This record gives sequence, structure tokens and C-alpha cells, in this order.
Amino acid sequence: MKNVVALLIAAPGGLRRTEAEVLSAGRRLADGLGGTLAAVILGAAEASWDGDAAAYGADRVLRVEHAGLAEYQAELMVEAARLACAALQAEICLAPSSTYGLEMAPVLAQKLGAAVVTDVIAASGEAGQVKITKPVYGGKANSELIARKSPLLLVMRARSVALLEKKTGAVAETSKLDVQLDAGLAKSRIVERKQEASTGVRLEDARIIISGGRGLGGPDGFKLLDELAVLLGGAVGASRAACDQGWVPASWQIGQTGKKVAPELYLAVGISGASQHLVGISGAKHIVAVNKDEKAPIFEASEAGVVEDYRAMIPALIEAVKKHRAAEGK
Amino acid sequence: MHLVVCLKQIMDPELPPAEFRVDTQKKEAVRGSANLVISVFDENALEVALQLRDAAGGGKITALCVGHESAVDALRKAVSMRADEAIRIREEEFPALDAYGAARLLAAALRKLEPADLVFCGREAGDWHGAIVGGLLAGELQRPFVSLAAAAQRTDEKFLLRRQTDEGWETVECAGPAVVSVTNDDSNQPRIPKVKDNMMAFRRQIPAWGAAELGIQTSELNGPNAALEFASLGIPKSEKQCQVIGGESVEEKAARLAQKLADLHVL
Repeated sequence: MKNVVALLIAAPGGLRRTEAEVLSAGRRLADGLGGTLAAVILGAAEASWDGDAAAYGADRVLRVEHAGLAEYQAELMVEAARLACAALQAEICLAPSSTYGLEMAPVLAQKLGAAVVTDVIAASGEAGQVKITKPVYGGKANSELIARKSPLLLVMRARSVALLEKKTGAVAETSKLDVQLDAGLAKSRIVERKQEASTGVRLEDARIIISGGRGLGGPDGFKLLDELAVLLGGAVGASRAACDQGWVPASWQIGQTGKKVAPELYLAVGISGASQHLVGISGAKHIVAVNKDEKAPIFEASEAGVVEDYRAMIPALIEAVKKHRAAEGK
Repeated sequence: MHLVVCLKQIMDPELPPAEFRVDTQKKEAVRGSANLVISVFDENALEVALQLRDAAGGGKITALCVGHESAVDALRKAVSMRADEAIRIREEEFPALDAYGAARLLAAALRKLEPADLVFCGREAGDWHGAIVGGLLAGELQRPFVSLAAAAQRTDEKFLLRRQTDEGWETVECAGPAVVSVTNDDSNQPRIPKVKDNMMAFRRQIPAWGAAELGIQTSELNGPNAALEFASLGIPKSEKQCQVIGGESVEEKAARLAQKLADLHVL
């Protein structure tokens, strides 16, 4: 197995972390297998994507442009990807960990006759085989798989891939693939889009996250967390329990299903620490917990913790932070 | 309108991490004292189907589950929530079943049922987190696949699916038949069955279909994933030590926590 393909779904603006992760993972696999990495850009992306793809290790870039790919449409995107993989004789294909990438993955795998593994946290190539680590049971265990046959389609978990250092000035052969996409293939269409108003920094990019769970007891608790977040210059996140209750928007959810975040500080407030939630914060540098239950599993996953009711603790912490800053002359 | 919901029965994922054990020989979790439950996103899927039927003023819901004998409990739960039919696909006849195999079994079952307008499943199984059976099933049926739907609505001859995206929401319109995977949302928390429905479900006979009923050979279930070697299953070691920040009063704890945050350079 030598031909590695990184599938990138075009989006407005420059190449983002999602694409950089697919490319970095692909480059490492190609290096281990003594193979090559081709980046496929599905849809129209800015010119800068060519150079950035090369900078993250693509040996060549193949752009697939067609009127039908102006926006994501599932069936047309899968067909375009299939044609690109055929043109490149792809043996290993990496799909992005975005909503669209995860949606395309099984459908594309089926068309390619590819073995497919998702939510992969490590994939390394050596001597013609690929070793795959996939966490299971809500992150409580790791499964190790070995792939020896192609084609193979992998989706790396968001935030699990360390980005390669960008090689400035890297150049890759860029070409266009002309494709025939029968409009009749499209069986669904997006009739409405709603971007959730984000107050401040995206969770995935936040340096500091204050997160609330079932222990908050209601939506009001999040107002306190927001006050602390504003003070620290952070963002507010939530566990699945809080989202399922309707206390906060679904886009605030962090966990196995939900955002994967990697902040400097993750302050978990009223979050019990179910393994599925911990999956979302495995990239956090420092995890600190506030919970009134001393037996909450979150303390086993934290660097530091306070056993206290958040209703008393967070206001006190807000005051303490203000005092500390005043004392430091900030 | 006929809606089918695919369920998977799994070990309760809410089992406390301290009680979780793995059999490294069998490469599976040890059941221990854990309950068996319907995978949570499959329950959300069932709720979405029920809400769609409620809004449409009628329709039939069939629950399918590839599982062992114990899966009868999962199917009875679906019936108690008012699924009309429930059928177990006898997993014991198909050892070493992977996602491709499960998708092919479900496709075979669907071909035996009256045509479905929508086939729902959870976004991923709460134990193996593959998120691929739905898409593979759509491929087997040669029908579209829409993922991460939180709600479904019928308009004329089409369906409107509100689904989550990385940045917010989308409404996807598609004609049936289609396969839809469902994610959790505050709007699709599974309803609690009425006591009388629990009793009705408890008495229900759940039919079980195997290779003979499905007209399928075990060899047909071998797909590309069968070539993957499942090398090991283990619990990763965690070396974390939690520093308990104590104090005589809340203010004292807060002051110490603020200092800790300062030490971590996040203040």
C-alpha cells in the first residue's frame, strides 16, 4: 500500500485545521509506507489551498471542480471523490473529521470496496501495513487494528492529529480533474443553513474553556460560567447532559459526540466526568474540576479539583481572580 | 408512511469507569454487573420517528435489531414506546459480524418488509462508535444517506431533516426512501413509556429472523472490513493524580484555586 490520498472538502477562506490534520496524518502514513501523498480538493477552494497542502506534505494536489460541487451535496461529492480516488489509484484514503467528511466516509467506502475505520486516534504505516488505534466503549478502551489490504478509508478523530510543521515554500504539482457529474445523482439538497451565533472564540480554538454539566441544575448556572469566562477571556462549553436538557445550544457540546477541544485550561463545573465527555478534552493541557460530589469520576481525570457547590464556588472564584489581578497590578 | 428504526443493544455506557473491565483474550468488554440498553442515539432515532408519525397523524413504525436473545428486551422497549412492529435478526447465526455484515443483514430485512419511506439509526453505536452502518446500509439500498439529523418533518412527498453541522444547523430536503442517522438533541429525548404500554410490550412475541428467513448466506456478509485484523483491546493506563484544593471556607478555596490558575499561566 503506497498511494495515500487526503480528501479535502472546499470551504470559503484559507485551509483550516481540519484539512491540516488530514494532510499531516496522510503525510505520516505515506512516509511510513514509502509512498506518496496526494491532496484532493473537492469543490472550489482559494488558490492558497494548493501551497498550504504542499506545505503540509502533499506531493501533488488534484482539484476537482464542477458546478455541482459549488456547495456540499452528498451524492455529487461522493461521486467526485470516487472519481478522484480512481484517477489517483488511491490505496489509502483519509476523509476529514467534519460533518460532511464523516457523512461521506461510509458511502464512499462502500463504492470503493474499502475497509473503513473512523474515530481513529493513531494510524501508522510500516512494511506495507497500517496499524490503527481506535478508542471504543466511550473512550474507556483502545482497540488496535491492522490493515494489510487496500483500499482503506480512515477518518482521524478531530484534534487527535499533531500538525506537521508547515514547510514554507513547498511546491506540489497541481492539476485539475475534469469530471462528469450527472445532476440526477443528487437525491437531497440543503434548503436552509443556520450558523450558530458564536460569542467570541470557537470552542475548538479556545485557550480557556469553562464547561458546565448536569450539576449546574439549569440554564442559569451557565450565566455564572459566562461571567467567569469573560473575565478569563475564555469560551463556555457543556456536557451532553446539559445540551440534552436544552440548557445550552447543541453546538456547545464537548465529548465523544460533540466538539473535541484542546485548551490550555479546561475548567469542568458540575460535570461528573463520564468517559464519553473526557474523550472531548483529551487534548486539554490542564483539567481542573469543581464538583460538590467528591466521588465524581472527573477528579480522577483532573490535575486539580475543588469539592464544592459551584453556586458558591464560582462567584467566589470570580472575586478571587479579580483580587489576584488587582494585587498583581493588572 | 412506513418508518423503520434500526436499534443496537449494548452494554450500558454509563457504567462507572472504575467498574469497566476488558477480556483481553476475547477482545471484548466484560459484562459484569452492567445492564444491556438500547444504544442512546438509537433511542433518539426512535423518538424522531415517533414524532414524525405523531405530526403526520399516522404511519407504521418497525423496529429492527441485529442482536442475541437479550435484544428482545430492547425491541420490547421500542414496542412500549409505540413502535408497531419489532423484529430481531438472529445475531447468533452470524458470528464475527462487522459493520458491512450488519448493514447487509439490515438491507436483507428491509427487502422483506413493506417499503420504508425513511430508515433511521443512531449516529454511532454507543460502544463501538463506528458511525458507518447507516451509510453502508444506504449504499446497499442505493438510497441517499443524511447524517446527524435531530428532527424530521414530512412535506408533500418529501422529507425535511434538520441536521447538525460543524457551525450550526442545516435543513436537508430529500425524497424517500432514504437512510437517516440521528444525533441527540433536547428535542428528541426518548419518551417514557406509559405503564399500560410497558405491560403490553412485555407480553408481545418478538419474531426472530435468521439466514433462512432473510434468504442470505453467511458468506455474503463478508465485506472489506473482514480483512482488518483486530489485534488487541486494552484499557489505557492513566497516571493522573488530582491535587485537591482545600480550605476552611469557600473564599479560601477560591483564593487557592485562583493562585493555581495563576501558576498555570492562565490568569
